[in-house]
Amino acid sequence: MSALHTISGSPSTGLLDSCLMLVGPGDGILFIQDGVYYGCPPNHLTVISPDNALFALREDLIARGVLSKLLKQVSPVGYGRFVELTVSYDKVISWS
Amino acid sequence: MTAYQFARAAVSQGHEIYRVFFYGDGVLNANSLSISPQDEKNLPQAWHNFLANNEIDSVACVSSALVRGILSSQESKRHKMADMSLCASTQIAGLGQLVDAALQSDRLVSFG
Amino acid sequence: MKRKTLTFVTRYAPYGSNKARLTVDAALAAAVFEQKINFLFIDDGVFQLVQNQNAEMIASKTIGKAIETLELYGIENVLVDGSSLEKRLLTPADFSVPVKVLEAEQLQKLTEDSDVVINL
Repeated sequence: MSALHTISGSPSTGLLDSCLMLVGPGDGILFIQDGVYYGCPPNHLTVISPDNALFALREDLIARGVLSKLLKQVSPVGYGRFVELTVSYDKVISWS
Repeated sequence: MTAYQFARAAVSQGHEIYRVFFYGDGVLNANSLSISPQDEKNLPQAWHNFLANNEIDSVACVSSALVRGILSSQESKRHKMADMSLCASTQIAGLGQLVDAALQSDRLVSFG
Repeated sequence: MKRKTLTFVTRYAPYGSNKARLTVDAALAAAVFEQKINFLFIDDGVFQLVQNQNAEMIASKTIGKAIETLELYGIENVLVDGSSLEKRLLTPADFSVPVKVLEAEQLQKLTEDSDVVINL
């Protein structure tokens, strides 16, 4: 069963490394709140398999002034799409 | 704020929210005595309106609530406190309500 | 109703925040529902398992004691990430309860096989 992982802390929390221990093939990762900084340089997210789709919450990117810096492999999504993602994956695992 | 926006988006897409469970510091969202600066959103008030308007079951974890002064009128009387502080749309109950929600729903989404 | 597999994940040290307590309390509450329950310690969460804790010294409830009751409540799958142990120079001999040490592939399988993962 696939999972959507939500990450809500900035890179200094190390949440992504913890999350990746439990990420399986086909899982998705959604950056929210301060987690959206993971989606911007100098992070490059190359440790994540291309098999794992990456998303970042648009509202949190805009609020922090970093939407234009979003890495191209990360898709910006609004709350509506966030809800759809929780349905399209079998479960949601939150990292905070 | 994220949980609130998510819940609103879920309802607007026609999903049913079985229960909102406030745990740890999250119970502060059920504080009816919270006052925000005029230019800031009053999140407990927003939650209350959303939960009441959509008739969504809402529970604050009893141990998290009491220690933070989130008291129903019943708890307030029992502990001989001056006032109650729990939003009318939320009840105080135990962790069994979180587990029940996890078992009854097809998705559990939590926010830290 | 179909029996579900609930996996609780804890990644915080025992006393720096109340997150460790919230997770173990939730798992103990889940135990009475007679589901399949896994309790997984990762990162600093493994410090919760260290034996001979006495949190009376810091006016707190000892988390290690609550963890010792997991088995009593029927939660036998107490699991630990092996890499988190290595990084902290800990081994299962340092712990107050028996644990199963999981390798990377087993961790992924654990979450894949879970219906609900609670990571507070």
